Amino acid sequence: MSPRRAETGGRIDRLRTIRFTFDGAPYTGHAGDTLASALLANGVTLFGRSFKYHRPRGLLAAGVEEPNALVTVLRGEVREPNIAATMVEIYDGLVADSQNRTPSLAWDIGAMNQLGGKILSAGFYYKTFMGPVIGPLKGTRFWMFCEHFIRRAAGLGKAGTAPDPARYERMNAFCDVLVVGSGPAGLMAAKAAADQGARVILADLEANFGGSANWSGETIDGMPAADWTQRMVGQLEGNDNVRLLPRTTVWGYYDGNTLAALERVTDHKEAPAKGEPRQRYWAIRAGTVVLATGSFERPLVFPGNDRPGVMLAHAAERYVNEYGVLPGQRIALFTNNDSAYRSAFALKKAGAAIVAIVDVRSDVSNEMRRLASEAEAELLAGHAVVATEGGKALTGLKVQRFDARSGALSGDERSIHADSLLMSGGWSPTIHLASQAGAKAEWDPARQAFLPPKPTQRWIGAGAFTGSFSTAEAIAEGRAAGLQAAGGTASSAPLPIVEAAPGDPDPAPVFEIKAKGKSFVDFQHDVTAEDVRLAHREGFVSVEHLKRYTTLGMATDQGKNSNLPGLAIMAEALGKSIPEVGTTRFRPPYTAVSIGSLAAERFGDLKPERLTPMHDWHIANGATMYSAGLWYRPMIYGLAGETVEQAYVREAKATRESAGIVDVSTLGKIAVQGLDAAEFLDRVYTNMFSTLAVGKARYGLMLREDGLAFDDGTTWRLGDQEFLMTTTTANAGKVMQHLEYFLDVIWPELKVTVTSVTDEWAGAAIGGPKARAILAACVTGTAVDNATLPFMGIVHGQIAGVPVMICRLSFSGEMAFEVYSGAGYGTRVWEALIEAGTPFGLVTYGLEALGTMRIEKGHVTGAEIDGRTTARDLHLDWMLSKKKPFIGSAMMDREGLVANDRLQLVGLIALDNRPLNGGGHVVEKLDEANPHDSLGHITACCYSPALGKYIALALVEGGKARHGTRAFVSDPLRNRFGPIEIVSNHFYDPDGSRMHG
Amino acid sequence: MLITCPYCGPRDVIEFTYQGDGNRERPQPASQNLDAWNAYVYDRLNPAGDHNEIWQHSGGCRAHLRVVRNTLTHEIRSTTFARGGHKAEGRS
Amino acid sequence: MAEHQLPERLSPLEPDYHLGSHGNFEHGVDVILSETRPGSILQLAAWPGEEKRLIEVIRKVTGLALPDGAGGGVSSSARAVFGFAPGKFTVVDEAEGLAAAFAGVITPAIGTLTDLSHGRTAMRIAGPKAEWVMAKFFAIDFALPAFPLGAGRSTNHHDIFAQIQRSGADQFDIYVFRSFARSFWKALCHASEEVGYEVQ
Repeated sequence: MSPRRAETGGRIDRLRTIRFTFDGAPYTGHAGDTLASALLANGVTLFGRSFKYHRPRGLLAAGVEEPNALVTVLRGEVREPNIAATMVEIYDGLVADSQNRTPSLAWDIGAMNQLGGKILSAGFYYKTFMGPVIGPLKGTRFWMFCEHFIRRAAGLGKAGTAPDPARYERMNAFCDVLVVGSGPAGLMAAKAAADQGARVILADLEANFGGSANWSGETIDGMPAADWTQRMVGQLEGNDNVRLLPRTTVWGYYDGNTLAALERVTDHKEAPAKGEPRQRYWAIRAGTVVLATGSFERPLVFPGNDRPGVMLAHAAERYVNEYGVLPGQRIALFTNNDSAYRSAFALKKAGAAIVAIVDVRSDVSNEMRRLASEAEAELLAGHAVVATEGGKALTGLKVQRFDARSGALSGDERSIHADSLLMSGGWSPTIHLASQAGAKAEWDPARQAFLPPKPTQRWIGAGAFTGSFSTAEAIAEGRAAGLQAAGGTASSAPLPIVEAAPGDPDPAPVFEIKAKGKSFVDFQHDVTAEDVRLAHREGFVSVEHLKRYTTLGMATDQGKNSNLPGLAIMAEALGKSIPEVGTTRFRPPYTAVSIGSLAAERFGDLKPERLTPMHDWHIANGATMYSAGLWYRPMIYGLAGETVEQAYVREAKATRESAGIVDVSTLGKIAVQGLDAAEFLDRVYTNMFSTLAVGKARYGLMLREDGLAFDDGTTWRLGDQEFLMTTTTANAGKVMQHLEYFLDVIWPELKVTVTSVTDEWAGAAIGGPKARAILAACVTGTAVDNATLPFMGIVHGQIAGVPVMICRLSFSGEMAFEVYSGAGYGTRVWEALIEAGTPFGLVTYGLEALGTMRIEKGHVTGAEIDGRTTARDLHLDWMLSKKKPFIGSAMMDREGLVANDRLQLVGLIALDNRPLNGGGHVVEKLDEANPHDSLGHITACCYSPALGKYIALALVEGGKARHGTRAFVSDPLRNRFGPIEIVSNHFYDPDGSRMHG
Repeated sequence: MLITCPYCGPRDVIEFTYQGDGNRERPQPASQNLDAWNAYVYDRLNPAGDHNEIWQHSGGCRAHLRVVRNTLTHEIRSTTFARGGHKAEGRS
Repeated sequence: MAEHQLPERLSPLEPDYHLGSHGNFEHGVDVILSETRPGSILQLAAWPGEEKRLIEVIRKVTGLALPDGAGGGVSSSARAVFGFAPGKFTVVDEAEGLAAAFAGVITPAIGTLTDLSHGRTAMRIAGPKAEWVMAKFFAIDFALPAFPLGAGRSTNHHDIFAQIQRSGADQFDIYVFRSFARSFWKALCHASEEVGYEVQ
């Protein structure tokens, strides 16, 4: 039997032994143990080193609020730091390490920081390292020198760098009633709501439902409270309308009764089952929330209150009753309220000696006196602990007479020999979620606690959360809350009967014992009472400033223990009452949330890929794919040994010499249908579409409401009331929303349907001098000659037995055709075109060659239609109809949009025969050392096989007026400077003779 | 935050796209009143309190909605179709 | 129009469509995944006030009577129809050529017909854990009372727009854009591993 494990008792499975390691040493525990309880049972008292001073620290708590015993859990290469040992369920093979110590927990060189305690007080970093350099040991530069050492010395566990192979998932849940917390109040609420037929979710952050009932030692309905819990859980489990979520922390309460929770699915297992996620992030939309989140016991602030062996009283009670572990053999208690007496009694029953109960109150009730005598404890009423003794473990404490009213100490110090000191500073309801939901907490002077605010969302509180600390009250409030949440009426059925130790829920208003020595308020961030007073002396009067200056409550535990004692000390320093000082608002998350769970399946597995119908063909035929938004498109079809430039130059050249084919399925396609389709297009495009004949296509330009260019594309008239609009790939979604907005909001009288048909059609653009001959070789059912299929004409036919629609239009500047077929036939048609084209020297080409040919032609894309350019800037003013208003027509002629010095589209030729870069600037005077006075910038660039030069498109001040002049490219980021010539953007075949044929 | 789409019922805000201030009034298409156009394109009320807004249920039925939302509390006071005509029938 | 036999369409899921049992199936398969490959998927839209006439046309052509109300729907073994937006309906047929059957009867005065037979990919998830797996993707309530038999829903999973019809007590048909279909299918399989799944 381990040194501190009691012979009997607890709810662990003593028949199952579990082996684990802590700091490399092997230990055993039992099923049902946490890492904290198992180590405590093994006699471990030292769990960690504190954040700033590296003071030895032991367990303060037994649950989620533990600030000291933070460990790093290792799974293979993956390390998860800063986990409270109280929340780690042990499993065979668990490996955990302590943190913030060098070289070991017992011998830590960082502990020397304690000697410099005065120096490291609140604001040390601000005072020392901020501001101008005044001497060698002050100022920002000094910080830069010291930072490395300070970052190493102060802090928590080290984050891992290995990729996390675990699976995370997101779940969406809906329920009528979400019950948070499964103590007696939560269980009653869940049961009452479920009995009404409501859909109920019951979530608890612990592994076992029951909350305090699992260790209170009370009796409910004639059975141990923990057994009653089991019975309640059993009844809930059988219900189809109840979902039980153990190990699930509800960490965020958002608008619309949407709550976020983290379920630790497999953290307590050796390995997950196949496909099982490590954690699930639950997004829960609840009709009503029952908050039964209980309360936290507060530490008392006195010198040496952080010594290993000083623990919260209820935590000790929990260790003994739930885990059968005694935190010590000679136990003293220090309290300002009645609840510690029950703890004393429980520990006595388990076999410990209670050497003293030190109570700040002089008027202790007779009931408490009786409990003390039953525990065979010496009662020191009107006393306080003023010091603790021992090194890495407690050996004793000193007490003095204490006046609770004045806070004055008097009389001689008396030493008491003890190996465990349990403290209770009263209880604070766990109001975090209610605070997140909105509204301010309310101070209750009797309870000396902030109670939950009035609900601003649909929630109902029950039990200790509301300040009702007895189990009998919790049971009554829980049932009432559950009934109300489920829309039921009050029940007259008898409530379960509770037998519990008596006790007054109201503590004495004592938070701190002022005596010599470091008294800790925030254990995790090493903030002392003196730090709080120092902050006050230095002028920090707002609680929000105090928090930031001292970092009180800003550690990973977010001040679960320290919040109220810190406020109380601040209030006293200010000479104000606690409610006058106010409290900070709690914000999500309630406890630390793994980033993995937030990313969930979005990480790795699903950044959705959009694939064209011919995707697999491209891969099989050597394409290098390029991700364009969510789409994947061939960049080049490289041959062995080719560079990217060599590949696209070959592809573009072959296209201009014979023919090339490119997958254009990604172009946005929108079906515009209905009685008013033509009228609608007249309004959204700058040019006319109502005059377009059926069977013809037209190039169109759209502006935004502010008159700037928005998108361009061709639109095909397939029927009198039926158009197929194409958009740029990147803008497909935006254009769709734009059209929907105008139809819904501005012109609801128009009878037009717009539908995304991008995915309905596979598109292949085939261009080049041989393109028509290739089509003629494989198309049936229609001719493709100039008469049947003129420029911008549309015909229907078949290729490889599949219906196709062919439109003669050109982006490359060659005689070109876009061939559309149903997406399911895309590959079939593509292969047929390639088969027909092979004898003609047809090549497949990718985005690079596509871009090269469009730059040679001077066509614009999103790089030029960048939200700052007008139609005039892009020389598209010929498309601005004067016969009708259209979106943007009223705003496009504003002064600033027609000025002469606007950036306009031009072409550039590199005169030094070196590549240009997108984003490079155009300047009149080259000044490499101090580049200035940009005339504009490059939007797209390539090597032009048609010209045999490096060329670019650019937006340049003055535009056309500069054609034929020389300038320089200035690209300091890439160190590219050199002479250029400014020319027309139409580099190649400016009169379009090639595409008109 | 939840927005109750008259067609789809209450849905998470992630399914919606904010489509701008609902107080804007678009001048007649042929209007040359630049002040009116300027007000429509640029002027915004930005109230602290109830605000008329246009949202699109872009991740659902894609209808545009007129939403009255309190900018201080995020409370949604009402949602209706921006395009009249269709009946907001009860959900099946 | 003279009907002639068209070649078979290529499924966008092909390289990632693996028949058989997968994931944690040793203890039983809790969902069955399949691509249903209907021949026709149509979008029908009515002008405001013309919904009833369109619903009547749908009944005449498909034999399916739409229940009243937003998102209402009904399905038979070969055909399905559901509302997914105000005045808009998705109509699905096992066979190709349904568009031709509607072409003459949806007059311009009633509304529009858009053929999406290639543009949407239909997947089916069935089994006791279908709701559980669906809840991983979509922020909508899949419980039977909230999502009745036959009903349709429009929603999305990140960038993937989806229409969903409940075609059985524990069966859903999901319609996604074809270009996203493979990505979504892989995610669907991945999410189903935990409960054990079979691809049919």
